[in-house]
Amino acid sequence: MRQNRTLLALRYGVLIALALFFLLPFYVMVRNAFSTQRHITAAKWHWLPDQLNLTNFNNLLANDTIGIGRALFNSAVMAVLQTGGTVFVSLLAGYALARYTHRLAKVLLGLTIFTLMVPATTTFLPMFIMTAQLGWVDTFRGLVIPGMFSAFATYLFRQFFIDFPVELEDAALVDGCSPWSSFWRVVVPNSMGIVAAVSTIIFIGAWNAFLWPTLIGRDATRTVQVALSQFMTSQGVRYPELFMGSLVAVLPMLFVFLFLQRYLVQGLTTSGLK
Amino acid sequence: MKLNRRTLLIGGGSLAAAATLAACGDNNPIGADPTTDGGATTPATDPTNGGATETADAPGGDVTLQQWYHEYGEAGVKEAVERYAAEYPDATVEVKWTPGDYAQILAAQLLTDDVPDVFEVEQGGSLDMIRAGQLEPLNDILDPVLADFNPSVIDRFMFEGKIYGVPQTVDMQLLYYRPSLLEAAGVEPPTTFEELVTAANAVKTADMGGFYAGNDGGVGVLGTMFIWASGHEQLNDDRTAAAFLTDDFYNALIAYREFSESGGVVQAASGEWYSPEAFINEEAAFQWGGLWSLPEIKEAFGDDVGVVPFPAIGPKGRPAVPFGAFGACVAAKGKNVEAAKQFVKWLWIDQEDKQVDFSDAYGTHVPAKPGLVPQATKLADGAGADAAKYVAENGFTNDIMWSGALGEAFGAAVSNVVKNGADPKAEFAGFEELAATELANLKG
Amino acid sequence: MRGHQGRNLWFLAFVAPFFIGLAIFVYVPIAWSAYLSFFDARNTVNPTRFVGFDNYRYLFNDRLFRDSLKVFVLFAVFIVPLTYVCSLGLALLLNNLKYGQAFFRSVFFIPMAVSYVIAAIVWRFVFFNGARFGMINSFIRSLGGDPVNWLGGGNNLYWVALISVRLWLQVGFYMILFIAGLNQIPRETYEAASIDGASGWRMLRFITLPQLRGASVAVIMLLFINAFQAFDEFYNMLGSIGSYPPYGRPPLVHLYLIAFGGGQQNLGVGGAGTMILTSIIVLFGLAQTWALGRGQEKPKKVRA
Repeated sequence: MRQNRTLLALRYGVLIALALFFLLPFYVMVRNAFSTQRHITAAKWHWLPDQLNLTNFNNLLANDTIGIGRALFNSAVMAVLQTGGTVFVSLLAGYALARYTHRLAKVLLGLTIFTLMVPATTTFLPMFIMTAQLGWVDTFRGLVIPGMFSAFATYLFRQFFIDFPVELEDAALVDGCSPWSSFWRVVVPNSMGIVAAVSTIIFIGAWNAFLWPTLIGRDATRTVQVALSQFMTSQGVRYPELFMGSLVAVLPMLFVFLFLQRYLVQGLTTSGLK
Repeated sequence: MKLNRRTLLIGGGSLAAAATLAACGDNNPIGADPTTDGGATTPATDPTNGGATETADAPGGDVTLQQWYHEYGEAGVKEAVERYAAEYPDATVEVKWTPGDYAQILAAQLLTDDVPDVFEVEQGGSLDMIRAGQLEPLNDILDPVLADFNPSVIDRFMFEGKIYGVPQTVDMQLLYYRPSLLEAAGVEPPTTFEELVTAANAVKTADMGGFYAGNDGGVGVLGTMFIWASGHEQLNDDRTAAAFLTDDFYNALIAYREFSESGGVVQAASGEWYSPEAFINEEAAFQWGGLWSLPEIKEAFGDDVGVVPFPAIGPKGRPAVPFGAFGACVAAKGKNVEAAKQFVKWLWIDQEDKQVDFSDAYGTHVPAKPGLVPQATKLADGAGADAAKYVAENGFTNDIMWSGALGEAFGAAVSNVVKNGADPKAEFAGFEELAATELANLKG
Repeated sequence: MRGHQGRNLWFLAFVAPFFIGLAIFVYVPIAWSAYLSFFDARNTVNPTRFVGFDNYRYLFNDRLFRDSLKVFVLFAVFIVPLTYVCSLGLALLLNNLKYGQAFFRSVFFIPMAVSYVIAAIVWRFVFFNGARFGMINSFIRSLGGDPVNWLGGGNNLYWVALISVRLWLQVGFYMILFIAGLNQIPRETYEAASIDGASGWRMLRFITLPQLRGASVAVIMLLFINAFQAFDEFYNMLGSIGSYPPYGRPPLVHLYLIAFGGGQQNLGVGGAGTMILTSIIVLFGLAQTWALGRGQEKPKKVRA
């Protein structure tokens, strides 16, 4: 495939322009996080920040209205628990649905695929009533458990395990392992790629979740997304702190993302999503 | 799973009530401060104690009462209510301070068996709460002293002869302006809507707009003002039909639409109507806002602040301000209903110095008892004094049967008329029927 | 070694946590909401007044609900093809790129790490701020124009903000799916075609796109389901305390307002709404599966 020079230059030109557009939101977040309120709301637009120090960061920490420290902690706890729980539950189910083919397994597989089409957010209202009845409002249980049963994750794992060589497990079974221990000792260690990919998706989703934490998360369990959203429309919103808060909430995800991106790409490539 | 019938019944009702209460910013401009009650506020969780309950140890009694407040935006209120609770001699009172969506949080808590004994509710309880039997009637403690309270507030709190909340303090909304700007432009503070239009267009400059009432162009918070200021009530006397679907009302909407189209209405600003930023930042010369913002505005402009009610609009028009009050309520399902009642009586009926402190020391509010207004220093003169007078003379508040569904349908119609140029008569054609059905439903 | 029964017990042990959870937190609530939808459940989840289909009738007469369905359709009509074309375009732009491929891929992919809430904050307060200091408005003003009211209604400009924010957030994810699809096309196919003298455009049309069929099906399905769930960016860009404008309301936002905001708490109507939305999305999913399954030639199984 020969490409002439101008075409290639054009291609890079387009890519660079697009990249600038894609990075612009990050830039304005940084710009506002290091500017004063007056600078941000000035009648004339400024490209550069005017307060390149930690003032806004310190104000953010001192701002009870956002309560950023506690909110970040809550988000981290929720994201970790939800990721762990979802992966555990879905890994087991996905594996079983790939390995067993009797009638019950087929019915359950059908149910899983059916559930894929009914995203949890559609049924948030009955889910909330249920969770409130259990007395789980404003608890991590309430935040995490109802969202732990992801048909999506189960389906991804099932698609992966269909291709997983049975020989490995059979060898383990012959050695006298139970299906349980062969699963944990042979299958899972050889599936870390897909586990990492699904974990990344769930983790990012949990950290960024909004609707469910809005309903459930209260004093003790308010996540950073809910805190920022509430601060955004509250009386006396201060833009520098709002954007510093956004930056602080995004940074951990950017690191997680850059670090795990490779697995994510691999996992999406090898999964059933094609 | 605790799914017994009683929890279910009560839970649903409280959820219902919560939603009604959360509506203040939008179609139901009851005067109360929305930033601190309705929705998205201030998760001021203390990382060290996770926003847990503060215990005030009282010498008296083996009874422990739980008392809930929403988070007041003004500094010092939390300490004040904890102090009040600590001083109560006959029981231990634990104050729970609730940032965020108080109404929704309270509702969810009322779902469970562990209900707070005393809690504040906007307008002293909603129809849904009352119907669901969540609120204990307080007639026995209130009836003897009813005459001490602001009659319009009591009128609103009373439903079918019963009253479920003791008014704590009164909040309201009004129109802020800068006398110096009006003077420079040679206009008077507006008393009619035409004068407001003229004044707003006269004072606006390239950088400062004329009139501001929220990022939705004002249709949300001003919606019901067009009913009251054009000389109507929301519902007829026996609450069976909407009482404002006349040409005067339609013309009021058209007048506001023309005002918007004239460029006199600022469509977006750095703060919402319920915060003073846009006004302080000089993004608009007039702002519709809450009385609670007065201290901040005074800090910015000193004495260069004036307030007027929403001006009269149309031939039968009259100036109007919306007001609202939080009422202290007692959970009917609580474990110590009688003790809770006694506490409410002590704090919100007997302890008048505390009531004045609560209204006056931390923001600007109007005491619920007119007899205490003279003791409120912030209402002694200037804008504060005017505001107190407006509540008494021009105060309106949402009818208890002005339900969420009605508010939503009303707000949508107003928005369509003002923003999309719809014909008001056609737009409200369906509203009449909807109101009749909804009201019949509400009557049960 | 192990009997039938043993195998079945193991199967149950593996699937039990997932399906019990699914039952409790998805199916029981849906059933409950179906039950509530036939009652006057204004302030209770244990209602006594059976009203038949009144709640459904109420919703279909509710202009705001009907509008919310229109909002979804409109949103899907824009966001699905747009994301599809843009993510495929980015994947093709990056395909076989010699230098900087990983860098550009990361740049387009990285918005996925940002939440809708934070993106909405940036879009609402910086780019599409209707006030005098909004970014786009500042440029318009500096060119002598009047500030544009982006999100305040009275025009359709809020769609620009809503669609661009979602596009920015999700296009990278779908781009990755297409890149994965492109990587699975055997190199020989192209080589054979280029020997036959096929040009770039013809190769795209007759080789690349047909080979991406599987990826396309997944992408479109996911895009629709996600568009249906739209809540976060709408709520955070248009809502304020206790209020949400009557325009730009997708179904879930309207349902949320019926249940928790806007001054009402109608669980009967909320239940009916849940049932209607669930039925729509299930029917839609089935229809799509059926249509695509019919149109598809033999599914080819290619694995990386």
